[in-house]
Amino acid sequence: MDIRVQGLTKYYGDFLAVDHISFEVHQGEIFGFLGPNGAGKTTTQRMLTTLLEPTEGRIVINGHDLARDPYPIKRQMGLVPEESNVYTELTAWDNLMFTARLYRVPRSERAARARELLETFDLWKKRDVKVENYSKGMRRRLSIAMAIIHRPTLLFLDEPTPGLDAQSTRTIRGLIRQLNDAGTTVFLTTHQIEEANQLCDRVAIINHGQIAAIDTPERLKQAFRRVQSVEVALDPPVGEGLEALLGATTVVKMGDKWRLYTDDPSTLLFQVMDYARSRELRVVSLSTLGPSLEDVFLEITGQQVGAVRRTDEQAGKRRGRRMKR
Amino acid sequence: MKDGWARRLGDEIAQALNVTLKDMRVYYLRPGMIMFGFLMPFFMFFSFSVRREMAAAQGVARLLALTTFFTAAAAGPFIVPLERRLGTYDRLLAAPMSLLTLLLGKTAVGALFAIGVSLFALLVGVTVFGVYIAQPELLVAGLLLGSCSFSALGLIFGSIPVRNPGDVQMPSTLLRWGLLFISGVFIPLAEMSPAARLLAYLSPLTYAQDLMNHAVLGVGLLNRWLDIVVLLVSGMLFLLPSIWLHHHSRKLGY
Repeated sequence: MDIRVQGLTKYYGDFLAVDHISFEVHQGEIFGFLGPNGAGKTTTQRMLTTLLEPTEGRIVINGHDLARDPYPIKRQMGLVPEESNVYTELTAWDNLMFTARLYRVPRSERAARARELLETFDLWKKRDVKVENYSKGMRRRLSIAMAIIHRPTLLFLDEPTPGLDAQSTRTIRGLIRQLNDAGTTVFLTTHQIEEANQLCDRVAIINHGQIAAIDTPERLKQAFRRVQSVEVALDPPVGEGLEALLGATTVVKMGDKWRLYTDDPSTLLFQVMDYARSRELRVVSLSTLGPSLEDVFLEITGQQVGAVRRTDEQAGKRRGRRMKR
Repeated sequence: MKDGWARRLGDEIAQALNVTLKDMRVYYLRPGMIMFGFLMPFFMFFSFSVRREMAAAQGVARLLALTTFFTAAAAGPFIVPLERRLGTYDRLLAAPMSLLTLLLGKTAVGALFAIGVSLFALLVGVTVFGVYIAQPELLVAGLLLGSCSFSALGLIFGSIPVRNPGDVQMPSTLLRWGLLFISGVFIPLAEMSPAARLLAYLSPLTYAQDLMNHAVLGVGLLNRWLDIVVLLVSGMLFLLPSIWLHHHSRKLGY
Protein backbone atom coordinates (compact mmCIF):
# COMPACT_ATOMS: atom_id res chain seq x y z
CA MET A 1 0.00 0.00 0.00
CA ASP A 2 1.19 3.49 -0.74
CA ILE A 3 0.27 6.73 0.97
CA ARG A 4 0.05 10.18 -0.60
CA VAL A 5 -0.38 13.12 1.73
CA GLN A 6 -1.07 16.58 0.34
CA GLY A 7 -1.22 19.78 2.37
CA LEU A 8 -2.24 17.99 5.54
CA THR A 9 -3.04 20.49 8.26
CA LYS A 10 -4.43 20.25 11.76
CA TYR A 11 -5.45 23.05 14.05
CA TYR A 12 -6.51 22.47 17.66
CA GLY A 13 -8.42 25.69 18.17
CA ASP A 14 -5.84 28.35 17.34
CA PHE A 15 -2.90 26.02 17.79
CA LEU A 16 -1.38 24.80 14.55
CA ALA A 17 -0.20 21.25 15.24
CA VAL A 18 0.48 20.13 11.66
CA ASP A 19 1.25 22.71 9.04
CA HIS A 20 0.44 21.83 5.42
CA ILE A 21 2.69 18.80 5.17
CA SER A 22 3.01 16.74 2.02
CA PHE A 23 4.86 13.47 1.55
CA GLU A 24 4.58 10.04 0.02
CA VAL A 25 5.16 6.62 1.44
CA HIS A 26 5.96 4.05 -1.20
CA GLN A 27 4.53 0.59 -1.27
CA GLY A 28 6.63 -1.92 0.62
CA GLU A 29 8.91 0.51 2.40
CA ILE A 30 9.51 1.17 6.07
CA PHE A 31 8.95 4.87 6.45
CA GLY A 32 10.20 6.54 9.61
CA PHE A 33 8.42 9.59 10.95
CA LEU A 34 10.76 11.32 13.37
CA GLY A 35 10.38 14.39 15.46
CA PRO A 36 10.80 15.76 18.97
CA ASN A 37 7.93 15.67 21.45
CA GLY A 38 5.06 17.89 20.33
CA ALA A 39 6.32 18.14 16.75
CA GLY A 40 3.12 16.72 15.28
CA LYS A 41 4.08 13.05 14.79
CA THR A 42 1.19 11.44 16.62
CA THR A 43 -1.28 14.00 15.29
CA THR A 44 -0.21 13.11 11.76
CA GLN A 45 -0.45 9.41 12.42
CA ARG A 46 -3.90 9.78 13.97
CA MET A 47 -5.05 11.60 10.83
CA LEU A 48 -3.60 8.85 8.64
CA THR A 49 -5.45 6.21 10.65
CA THR A 50 -8.83 8.05 10.52
CA LEU A 51 -8.84 8.73 14.27
CA LEU A 52 -8.51 12.46 13.78
CA GLU A 53 -10.13 14.66 11.17
CA PRO A 54 -7.71 16.93 9.33
CA THR A 55 -8.49 20.63 9.18
CA GLU A 56 -7.21 20.73 5.62
CA GLY A 57 -5.47 18.47 3.17
CA ARG A 58 -5.90 15.14 1.53
CA ILE A 59 -4.80 11.62 2.35
CA VAL A 60 -4.90 9.03 -0.40
CA ILE A 61 -4.01 5.46 0.48
CA ASN A 62 -3.75 2.96 -2.33
CA GLY A 63 -5.82 5.26 -4.52
CA HIS A 64 -8.62 5.65 -1.98
CA ASP A 65 -9.36 9.07 -0.58
CA LEU A 66 -9.45 8.43 3.15
CA ALA A 67 -12.04 11.15 3.77
CA ARG A 68 -14.47 9.62 1.29
CA ASP A 69 -14.15 5.90 1.74
CA PRO A 70 -12.05 4.69 4.66
CA TYR A 71 -13.61 1.21 4.87
CA PRO A 72 -11.39 -0.71 2.38
CA ILE A 73 -8.30 0.94 3.84
CA LYS A 74 -9.27 0.20 7.42
CA ARG A 75 -9.57 -3.49 6.57
CA GLN A 76 -5.96 -3.52 5.41
CA MET A 77 -4.58 -1.32 8.13
CA GLY A 78 -2.95 -2.30 11.43
CA LEU A 79 -2.37 0.18 14.21
CA VAL A 80 -0.07 -0.02 17.21
CA PRO A 81 -0.62 3.13 19.25
CA GLU A 82 1.87 4.62 21.68
CA GLU A 83 0.03 3.19 24.68
CA SER A 84 -0.66 -0.54 24.60
CA ASN A 85 -4.45 -0.48 24.26
CA VAL A 86 -5.24 -4.02 25.25
CA TYR A 87 -8.20 -5.19 27.30
CA THR A 88 -6.64 -5.96 30.65
CA GLU A 89 -9.72 -7.82 31.91
CA LEU A 90 -9.37 -10.36 29.11
CA THR A 91 -6.70 -12.96 28.48
CA ALA A 92 -4.20 -12.61 25.65
CA TRP A 93 -6.08 -15.28 23.76
CA ASP A 94 -9.41 -13.47 24.14
CA ASN A 95 -7.84 -10.17 23.09
CA LEU A 96 -6.55 -11.77 19.91
CA MET A 97 -9.83 -13.52 19.18
CA PHE A 98 -11.74 -10.28 19.66
CA THR A 99 -9.46 -8.45 17.24
CA ALA A 100 -9.56 -11.27 14.73
CA ARG A 101 -13.36 -11.13 14.71
CA LEU A 102 -13.28 -7.35 14.47
CA TYR A 103 -11.19 -7.60 11.30
CA ARG A 104 -13.26 -10.49 9.97
CA VAL A 105 -10.41 -12.99 9.92
CA PRO A 106 -11.99 -16.25 8.70
CA ARG A 107 -13.13 -18.40 11.61
CA SER A 108 -11.03 -21.35 10.41
CA GLU A 109 -7.81 -19.31 10.55
CA ARG A 110 -8.27 -17.37 13.81
CA ALA A 111 -6.92 -19.92 16.24
CA ALA A 112 -3.92 -20.84 14.10
CA ARG A 113 -2.92 -17.21 13.60
CA ALA A 114 -3.38 -16.41 17.28
CA ARG A 115 -1.22 -19.35 18.28
CA GLU A 116 1.47 -18.42 15.79
CA LEU A 117 1.60 -14.84 17.07
CA LEU A 118 1.55 -15.83 20.73
CA GLU A 119 4.44 -18.20 20.11
CA THR A 120 6.35 -15.58 18.13
CA PHE A 121 5.97 -13.09 20.95
CA ASP A 122 6.67 -15.65 23.66
CA LEU A 123 3.20 -15.30 25.18
CA TRP A 124 1.82 -18.73 24.41
CA LYS A 125 2.36 -20.15 27.89
CA LYS A 126 0.50 -17.21 29.41
CA ARG A 127 -2.28 -17.08 26.84
CA ASP A 128 -4.96 -17.80 29.45
CA VAL A 129 -3.69 -15.29 32.01
CA LYS A 130 -5.59 -12.03 32.26
CA VAL A 131 -3.58 -9.20 30.71
CA GLU A 132 -3.82 -7.16 33.93
CA ASN A 133 -1.12 -9.52 35.24
CA TYR A 134 1.19 -8.89 32.28
CA SER A 135 4.33 -6.75 32.37
CA LYS A 136 4.64 -3.65 30.22
CA GLY A 137 6.73 -5.52 27.66
CA MET A 138 4.23 -8.37 27.45
CA ARG A 139 1.36 -5.94 26.91
CA ARG A 140 3.36 -4.21 24.19
CA ARG A 141 4.01 -7.48 22.42
CA LEU A 142 0.34 -8.42 22.68
CA SER A 143 -0.65 -5.00 21.35
CA ILE A 144 1.51 -5.58 18.28
CA ALA A 145 0.17 -9.10 17.86
CA MET A 146 -3.37 -7.71 17.90
CA ALA A 147 -2.43 -5.18 15.23
CA ILE A 148 -1.17 -7.79 12.81
CA ILE A 149 -3.48 -10.75 13.34
CA HIS A 150 -5.41 -9.79 10.19
CA ARG A 151 -2.14 -9.56 8.23
CA PRO A 152 -2.39 -5.89 7.32
CA THR A 153 -0.66 -4.58 4.24
CA LEU A 154 -0.17 -1.21 5.94
CA LEU A 155 1.04 -1.09 9.51
CA PHE A 156 1.26 2.04 11.66
CA LEU A 157 3.51 1.81 14.69
CA ASP A 158 3.72 4.65 17.19
CA GLU A 159 6.83 4.34 19.37
CA PRO A 160 6.81 0.54 19.40
CA THR A 161 9.81 -0.15 21.63
CA PRO A 162 10.47 2.52 24.31
CA GLY A 163 10.63 1.08 27.80
CA LEU A 164 11.12 -2.47 26.59
CA ASP A 165 14.02 -4.74 27.47
CA ALA A 166 16.65 -5.48 24.85
CA GLN A 167 15.22 -8.88 23.98
CA SER A 168 11.68 -7.59 23.44
CA THR A 169 13.03 -4.69 21.40
CA ARG A 170 15.02 -7.05 19.20
CA THR A 171 12.00 -9.33 18.74
CA ILE A 172 9.79 -6.43 17.70
CA ARG A 173 12.34 -4.96 15.32
CA GLY A 174 12.89 -8.38 13.80
CA LEU A 175 9.17 -8.78 13.32
CA ILE A 176 8.85 -5.37 11.66
CA ARG A 177 11.53 -6.41 9.18
CA GLN A 178 9.85 -9.75 8.65
CA LEU A 179 6.47 -8.11 7.97
CA ASN A 180 8.11 -5.68 5.61
CA ASP A 181 9.85 -8.50 3.78
CA ALA A 182 6.43 -10.07 3.31
CA GLY A 183 5.23 -6.88 1.61
CA THR A 184 3.74 -4.84 4.45
CA THR A 185 4.26 -1.11 4.20
CA VAL A 186 5.31 0.19 7.61
CA PHE A 187 4.80 3.73 8.90
CA LEU A 188 6.97 4.02 11.99
CA THR A 189 6.53 7.01 14.25
CA THR A 190 9.39 7.28 16.67
CA HIS A 191 11.79 9.55 18.44
CA GLN A 192 14.27 6.72 18.75
CA ILE A 193 16.68 7.75 16.06
CA GLU A 194 18.75 4.60 16.08
CA GLU A 195 15.63 2.51 15.61
CA ALA A 196 14.74 4.53 12.54
CA ASN A 197 18.31 4.29 11.30
CA GLN A 198 18.29 0.51 11.60
CA LEU A 199 14.82 -0.10 10.19
CA CYS A 200 13.77 2.61 7.79
CA ASP A 201 14.19 2.86 4.04
CA ARG A 202 13.34 6.55 4.25
CA VAL A 203 12.67 8.96 7.07
CA ALA A 204 10.84 12.25 7.39
CA ILE A 205 11.78 14.62 10.17
CA ILE A 206 8.92 16.75 11.40
CA ASN A 207 9.52 19.79 13.56
CA HIS A 208 7.01 22.40 14.69
CA GLY A 209 4.38 20.75 12.51
CA GLN A 210 6.41 20.98 9.31
CA ILE A 211 8.46 18.44 7.41
CA ALA A 212 12.03 19.60 7.89
CA ALA A 213 13.70 16.85 5.88
CA ILE A 214 12.76 13.70 4.06
CA ASP A 215 15.17 11.21 2.52
CA THR A 216 17.00 7.96 3.12
CA PRO A 217 18.98 7.90 6.38
CA GLU A 218 22.29 7.71 4.52
CA ARG A 219 21.50 10.61 2.20
CA LEU A 220 20.43 12.72 5.16
CA LYS A 221 23.73 11.96 6.83
CA GLN A 222 25.57 12.92 3.66
CA ALA A 223 23.76 16.24 3.59
CA PHE A 224 24.99 16.99 7.08
CA ARG A 225 28.69 16.31 6.69
CA ARG A 226 29.38 19.37 8.84
CA VAL A 227 28.33 17.42 11.88
CA GLN A 228 31.20 14.97 11.63
CA SER A 229 33.01 14.40 14.88
CA VAL A 230 36.16 13.16 16.55
CA GLU A 231 35.71 11.01 19.62
CA VAL A 232 38.54 10.71 22.10
CA ALA A 233 39.00 8.89 25.41
CA LEU A 234 41.89 10.14 27.56
CA ASP A 235 43.67 8.76 30.59
CA PRO A 236 43.20 10.35 33.04
CA PRO A 237 39.78 11.32 31.67
CA VAL A 238 40.08 15.09 31.81
CA GLY A 239 38.90 17.34 29.02
CA GLU A 240 39.35 20.89 30.22
CA GLY A 241 40.56 23.01 27.34
CA LEU A 242 39.24 20.79 24.56
CA GLU A 243 36.66 23.44 23.72
CA ALA A 244 39.49 25.81 22.90
CA LEU A 245 40.68 23.69 19.98
CA LEU A 246 40.22 25.69 16.80
CA GLY A 247 38.69 22.92 14.74
CA ALA A 248 35.94 21.98 17.21
CA THR A 249 32.53 23.57 16.93
CA THR A 250 30.93 21.77 19.86
CA VAL A 251 32.37 19.56 22.57
CA VAL A 252 30.15 17.06 24.32
CA LYS A 253 31.16 14.73 27.16
CA MET A 254 29.82 11.24 26.52
CA GLY A 255 30.54 8.93 29.44
CA ASP A 256 34.33 8.58 29.70
CA LYS A 257 34.79 10.03 26.21
CA TRP A 258 34.62 13.41 24.60
CA ARG A 259 33.00 14.03 21.26
CA LEU A 260 34.22 17.06 19.33
CA TYR A 261 32.00 18.10 16.42
CA THR A 262 33.82 19.55 13.44
CA ASP A 263 33.60 20.18 9.74
CA ASP A 264 37.29 19.24 9.35
CA PRO A 265 38.05 16.04 11.25
CA SER A 266 41.55 15.53 9.81
CA THR A 267 42.81 18.84 11.19
CA LEU A 268 41.08 18.30 14.48
CA LEU A 269 42.70 14.88 14.90
CA PHE A 270 46.15 16.48 14.99
CA GLN A 271 44.93 19.16 17.38
CA VAL A 272 43.59 16.53 19.76
CA MET A 273 46.88 14.62 19.67
CA ASP A 274 48.78 17.87 20.38
CA TYR A 275 46.38 18.59 23.22
CA ALA A 276 47.01 15.16 24.77
CA ARG A 277 50.81 15.41 24.36
CA SER A 278 50.97 18.89 25.85
CA ARG A 279 49.12 17.71 28.97
CA GLU A 280 50.86 14.34 29.13
CA LEU A 281 47.56 12.46 28.75
CA ARG A 282 47.39 8.97 27.30
CA VAL A 283 45.04 8.58 24.34
CA VAL A 284 42.99 5.47 25.13
CA SER A 285 40.99 5.67 21.91
CA LEU A 286 40.60 8.14 19.09
CA SER A 287 38.22 7.87 16.17
CA THR A 288 36.48 9.97 13.58
CA LEU A 289 32.75 9.58 13.15
CA GLY A 290 30.45 10.52 10.32
CA PRO A 291 27.21 12.22 11.24
CA SER A 292 24.74 9.81 12.80
CA LEU A 293 21.06 10.07 12.06
CA GLU A 294 20.75 11.37 15.60
CA ASP A 295 23.16 14.19 14.76
CA VAL A 296 21.10 15.02 11.68
CA PHE A 297 17.92 14.97 13.75
CA LEU A 298 19.39 17.19 16.43
CA GLU A 299 20.81 19.56 13.85
CA ILE A 300 17.47 19.89 12.08
CA THR A 301 15.39 20.20 15.21
CA GLY A 302 17.90 22.53 16.84
CA GLN A 303 18.03 20.48 20.00
CA GLN A 304 21.72 19.87 20.57
CA VAL A 305 24.24 19.88 17.77
CA GLY A 306 22.03 22.40 16.05
CA ALA A 307 22.27 24.60 19.10
CA VAL A 308 25.66 25.57 17.67
CA ARG A 309 24.70 26.40 14.11
CA ARG A 310 28.01 27.88 13.22
CA THR A 311 27.99 29.73 9.95
CA ASP A 312 31.23 30.19 8.01
CA GLU A 313 31.68 33.66 9.41
CA GLN A 314 30.99 32.50 12.91
CA ALA A 315 33.46 29.68 12.46
CA GLY A 316 36.14 32.27 11.73
CA LYS A 317 35.34 34.16 14.86
CA ARG A 318 35.04 30.95 16.90
CA ARG A 319 31.73 32.09 18.25
CA GLY A 320 28.87 29.89 19.30
CA ARG A 321 31.19 27.29 20.74
CA ARG A 322 30.15 25.72 23.94
CA MET A 323 31.15 23.00 26.31
CA LYS A 324 28.41 20.53 27.22
CA ARG A 325 28.52 18.23 30.16
CA MET B 1 -22.60 -5.49 -6.07
CA LYS B 2 -25.56 -6.87 -4.18
CA ASP B 3 -23.35 -9.61 -2.74
CA GLY B 4 -20.89 -6.92 -1.66
CA TRP B 5 -23.55 -5.05 0.28
CA ALA B 6 -24.95 -8.22 1.79
CA ARG B 7 -21.49 -9.25 2.90
CA ARG B 8 -20.80 -5.81 4.29
CA LEU B 9 -24.09 -5.86 6.21
CA GLY B 10 -23.25 -9.29 7.58
CA ASP B 11 -19.84 -8.04 8.64
CA GLU B 12 -21.31 -5.00 10.36
CA ILE B 13 -23.84 -7.08 12.29
CA ALA B 14 -21.12 -9.52 13.35
CA GLN B 15 -18.88 -6.64 14.44
CA ALA B 16 -21.62 -4.98 16.48
CA LEU B 17 -22.24 -8.31 18.18
CA ASN B 18 -18.52 -8.75 18.75
CA VAL B 19 -18.30 -5.33 20.43
CA THR B 20 -21.34 -6.11 22.58
CA LEU B 21 -20.06 -9.48 23.74
CA LYS B 22 -16.63 -8.07 24.51
CA ASP B 23 -18.12 -5.22 26.56
CA MET B 24 -20.36 -7.65 28.45
CA ARG B 25 -17.32 -9.66 29.48
CA VAL B 26 -15.16 -6.66 30.27
CA TYR B 27 -17.55 -4.25 31.97
CA TYR B 28 -20.60 -5.98 33.45
CA LEU B 29 -18.83 -6.85 36.66
CA ARG B 30 -17.01 -3.53 37.04
CA PRO B 31 -17.93 -1.68 40.27
CA GLY B 32 -19.20 1.34 38.31
CA MET B 33 -21.67 -0.77 36.38
CA ILE B 34 -22.85 -2.66 39.45
CA MET B 35 -23.28 0.55 41.42
CA PHE B 36 -24.98 2.72 38.79
CA GLY B 37 -26.60 -0.02 36.75
CA PHE B 38 -27.68 -2.68 39.22
CA LEU B 39 -27.95 -1.25 42.71
CA MET B 40 -29.12 2.28 41.92
CA PRO B 41 -32.58 1.39 40.51
CA PHE B 42 -33.29 -0.83 43.51
CA PHE B 43 -32.16 1.89 45.92
CA MET B 44 -34.42 4.34 44.11
CA PHE B 45 -37.33 1.95 44.20
CA PHE B 46 -37.07 1.20 47.91
CA SER B 47 -36.43 4.87 48.77
CA PHE B 48 -39.67 5.97 47.18
CA SER B 49 -41.85 2.93 47.71
CA VAL B 50 -41.29 1.72 51.27
CA ARG B 51 -44.16 2.49 53.68
CA ARG B 52 -46.44 3.51 50.88
CA GLU B 53 -49.63 1.72 50.14
CA MET B 54 -48.97 -0.06 46.86
CA ALA B 55 -50.08 -3.33 45.32
CA ALA B 56 -47.30 -5.78 44.47
CA ALA B 57 -48.15 -5.59 40.76
CA GLN B 58 -47.94 -1.82 40.82
CA GLY B 59 -44.56 -2.06 42.54
CA VAL B 60 -43.27 -4.52 39.94
CA ALA B 61 -44.43 -2.29 37.07
CA ARG B 62 -42.63 0.65 38.68
CA LEU B 63 -39.50 -1.37 39.37
CA LEU B 64 -39.36 -2.65 35.77
CA ALA B 65 -39.58 0.90 34.43
CA LEU B 66 -36.83 1.93 36.83
CA THR B 67 -34.51 -0.95 35.96
CA THR B 68 -34.87 -0.54 32.21
CA PHE B 69 -34.32 3.18 32.54
CA PHE B 70 -31.54 3.47 35.11
CA THR B 71 -29.62 0.36 34.19
CA ALA B 72 -29.69 0.87 30.43
CA ALA B 73 -28.67 4.52 30.66
CA ALA B 74 -25.78 3.73 33.02
CA ALA B 75 -23.62 1.82 30.52
CA GLY B 76 -22.75 4.49 27.94
CA PRO B 77 -21.49 7.19 30.33
CA PHE B 78 -19.36 4.62 32.12
CA ILE B 79 -17.89 2.51 29.32
CA VAL B 80 -17.07 4.93 26.51
CA PRO B 81 -15.11 7.55 28.52
CA LEU B 82 -13.27 4.72 30.29
CA GLU B 83 -12.31 3.20 26.93
CA ARG B 84 -11.20 6.60 25.70
CA ARG B 85 -8.95 6.96 28.73
CA LEU B 86 -7.44 3.50 28.27
CA GLY B 87 -6.99 3.99 24.53
CA THR B 88 -9.09 0.95 23.69
CA TYR B 89 -11.77 3.10 22.06
CA ASP B 90 -9.24 3.99 19.34
CA ARG B 91 -9.05 0.30 18.53
CA LEU B 92 -12.79 0.30 17.82
CA LEU B 93 -12.79 3.59 15.93
CA ALA B 94 -9.94 2.42 13.69
CA ALA B 95 -11.58 -0.92 12.98
CA PRO B 96 -13.31 -1.56 9.65
CA MET B 97 -16.87 -0.89 10.76
CA SER B 98 -19.18 2.06 10.53
CA LEU B 99 -19.75 4.44 13.41
CA LEU B 100 -23.41 3.37 13.49
CA THR B 101 -22.35 -0.25 13.94
CA LEU B 102 -20.15 0.72 16.87
CA LEU B 103 -22.93 2.76 18.44
CA LEU B 104 -25.47 -0.02 17.99
CA GLY B 105 -23.04 -2.47 19.56
CA LYS B 106 -22.56 -0.14 22.51
CA THR B 107 -26.32 0.46 22.77
CA ALA B 108 -26.90 -3.29 22.99
CA VAL B 109 -24.45 -3.50 25.92
CA GLY B 110 -26.60 -1.26 28.12
CA ALA B 111 -29.84 -2.70 26.77
CA LEU B 112 -28.90 -6.30 27.52
CA PHE B 113 -27.69 -5.35 30.99
CA ALA B 114 -31.00 -3.62 31.65
CA ILE B 115 -32.97 -6.57 30.35
CA GLY B 116 -31.01 -8.92 32.60
CA VAL B 117 -31.55 -6.77 35.70
CA SER B 118 -35.24 -6.30 34.80
CA LEU B 119 -35.71 -10.05 34.42
CA PHE B 120 -34.19 -10.49 37.86
CA ALA B 121 -36.67 -7.95 39.26
CA LEU B 122 -39.48 -9.67 37.40
CA LEU B 123 -38.47 -13.07 38.71
CA VAL B 124 -38.58 -11.79 42.28
CA GLY B 125 -41.95 -10.13 41.63
CA VAL B 126 -43.49 -13.25 40.12
CA THR B 127 -42.02 -15.87 42.43
CA VAL B 128 -41.95 -14.02 45.77
CA PHE B 129 -44.92 -11.69 45.45
CA GLY B 130 -46.99 -13.79 43.06
CA VAL B 131 -47.46 -11.02 40.55
CA TYR B 132 -49.38 -11.98 37.42
CA ILE B 133 -48.27 -10.49 34.10
CA ALA B 134 -51.41 -9.36 32.31
CA GLN B 135 -49.95 -8.91 28.84
CA PRO B 136 -46.58 -10.68 28.41
CA GLU B 137 -46.14 -9.50 24.83
CA LEU B 138 -46.24 -5.89 26.00
CA LEU B 139 -43.74 -6.72 28.71
CA VAL B 140 -41.35 -8.04 26.06
CA ALA B 141 -41.90 -4.95 23.91
CA GLY B 142 -41.44 -2.66 26.89
CA LEU B 143 -38.25 -4.33 28.02
CA LEU B 144 -36.72 -4.40 24.55
CA LEU B 145 -37.73 -0.95 23.35
CA GLY B 146 -37.28 0.76 26.70
CA SER B 147 -33.83 -0.74 27.25
CA CYS B 148 -32.63 0.14 23.76
CA SER B 149 -34.03 3.65 23.92
CA PHE B 150 -32.55 4.43 27.34
CA SER B 151 -29.24 2.83 26.49
CA ALA B 152 -29.05 5.10 23.43
CA LEU B 153 -29.88 8.02 25.72
CA GLY B 154 -27.00 7.10 28.02
CA LEU B 155 -24.71 6.77 25.02
CA ILE B 156 -25.23 10.46 24.25
CA PHE B 157 -23.41 11.24 27.49
CA GLY B 158 -20.80 8.62 26.73
CA SER B 159 -20.16 10.30 23.40
CA ILE B 160 -19.22 13.62 24.97
CA PRO B 161 -15.50 14.01 24.28
CA VAL B 162 -14.00 13.39 27.71
CA ARG B 163 -11.65 10.71 29.00
CA ASN B 164 -12.93 10.43 32.54
CA PRO B 165 -16.25 8.69 33.28
CA GLY B 166 -16.72 10.99 36.28
CA ASP B 167 -16.97 14.00 33.96
CA VAL B 168 -20.18 12.67 32.38
CA GLN B 169 -21.62 10.64 35.26
CA MET B 170 -22.76 13.79 37.05
CA PRO B 171 -24.71 15.39 34.18
CA SER B 172 -26.12 12.03 33.08
CA THR B 173 -27.29 11.25 36.64
CA LEU B 174 -28.84 14.69 36.92
CA LEU B 175 -30.77 14.16 33.72
CA ARG B 176 -31.91 10.72 34.77
CA TRP B 177 -33.14 12.01 38.13
CA GLY B 178 -34.89 14.87 36.42
CA LEU B 179 -36.66 12.55 34.01
CA LEU B 180 -37.53 10.19 36.81
CA PHE B 181 -39.49 12.80 38.73
CA ILE B 182 -41.44 14.16 35.79
CA SER B 183 -42.30 10.83 34.19
CA GLY B 184 -45.13 9.36 36.20
CA VAL B 185 -43.01 6.72 37.90
CA PHE B 186 -43.54 7.85 41.44
CA ILE B 187 -46.60 10.01 40.85
CA PRO B 188 -49.01 8.33 38.42
CA LEU B 189 -49.89 10.32 35.32
CA ALA B 190 -53.56 10.36 36.28
CA GLU B 191 -52.76 12.16 39.52
CA MET B 192 -50.62 14.85 37.90
CA SER B 193 -51.72 18.39 37.26
CA PRO B 194 -52.26 19.25 33.56
CA ALA B 195 -49.03 21.25 33.45
CA ALA B 196 -47.01 18.45 35.05
CA ARG B 197 -48.60 15.93 32.72
CA LEU B 198 -47.62 18.05 29.73
CA LEU B 199 -44.03 17.94 30.98
CA ALA B 200 -44.31 14.20 31.52
CA TYR B 201 -45.26 13.67 27.89
CA LEU B 202 -41.85 15.03 26.90
CA SER B 203 -40.07 12.20 28.69
CA PRO B 204 -39.71 8.78 27.03
CA LEU B 205 -39.72 7.23 30.50
CA THR B 206 -43.40 8.20 30.78
CA TYR B 207 -44.20 5.91 27.87
CA ALA B 208 -42.02 3.11 29.24
CA GLN B 209 -43.82 3.29 32.59
CA ASP B 210 -47.19 3.37 30.86
CA LEU B 211 -46.26 0.35 28.75
CA MET B 212 -45.15 -1.52 31.88
CA ASN B 213 -48.49 -0.63 33.47
CA HIS B 214 -50.25 -2.10 30.45
CA ALA B 215 -48.07 -5.21 30.63
CA VAL B 216 -48.23 -5.91 34.36
CA LEU B 217 -51.47 -4.28 35.52
CA GLY B 218 -53.35 -4.63 32.27
CA VAL B 219 -54.20 -0.93 32.18
CA GLY B 220 -52.40 2.24 31.19
CA LEU B 221 -53.36 5.81 30.68
CA LEU B 222 -52.03 6.12 27.14
CA ASN B 223 -52.56 4.02 24.05
CA ARG B 224 -50.13 1.10 24.08
CA TRP B 225 -49.22 1.70 20.43
CA LEU B 226 -48.32 5.28 21.23
CA ASP B 227 -46.00 3.99 23.97
CA ILE B 228 -44.37 1.55 21.56
CA VAL B 229 -43.92 4.08 18.76
CA VAL B 230 -42.51 6.76 21.07
CA LEU B 231 -39.96 4.35 22.55
CA LEU B 232 -38.98 3.07 19.11
CA VAL B 233 -38.60 6.52 17.59
CA SER B 234 -36.87 8.04 20.62
CA GLY B 235 -34.35 5.18 20.58
CA MET B 236 -33.46 5.99 16.98
CA LEU B 237 -33.41 9.74 17.58
CA PHE B 238 -31.14 9.35 20.59
CA LEU B 239 -28.47 7.92 18.29
CA LEU B 240 -28.26 11.16 16.30
CA PRO B 241 -26.59 13.31 18.99
CA SER B 242 -24.13 10.47 19.61
CA ILE B 243 -23.19 10.41 15.92
CA TRP B 244 -22.74 14.18 15.92
CA LEU B 245 -20.67 14.09 19.11
CA HIS B 246 -18.43 11.38 17.67
CA HIS B 247 -17.80 13.48 14.57
CA HIS B 248 -17.04 16.42 16.83
CA SER B 249 -14.69 14.25 18.92
CA ARG B 250 -12.84 13.26 15.75
CA LYS B 251 -12.12 16.92 15.12
CA LEU B 252 -10.89 17.43 18.67
CA GLY B 253 -8.77 14.29 18.74
CA TYR B 254 -10.67 12.26 21.35
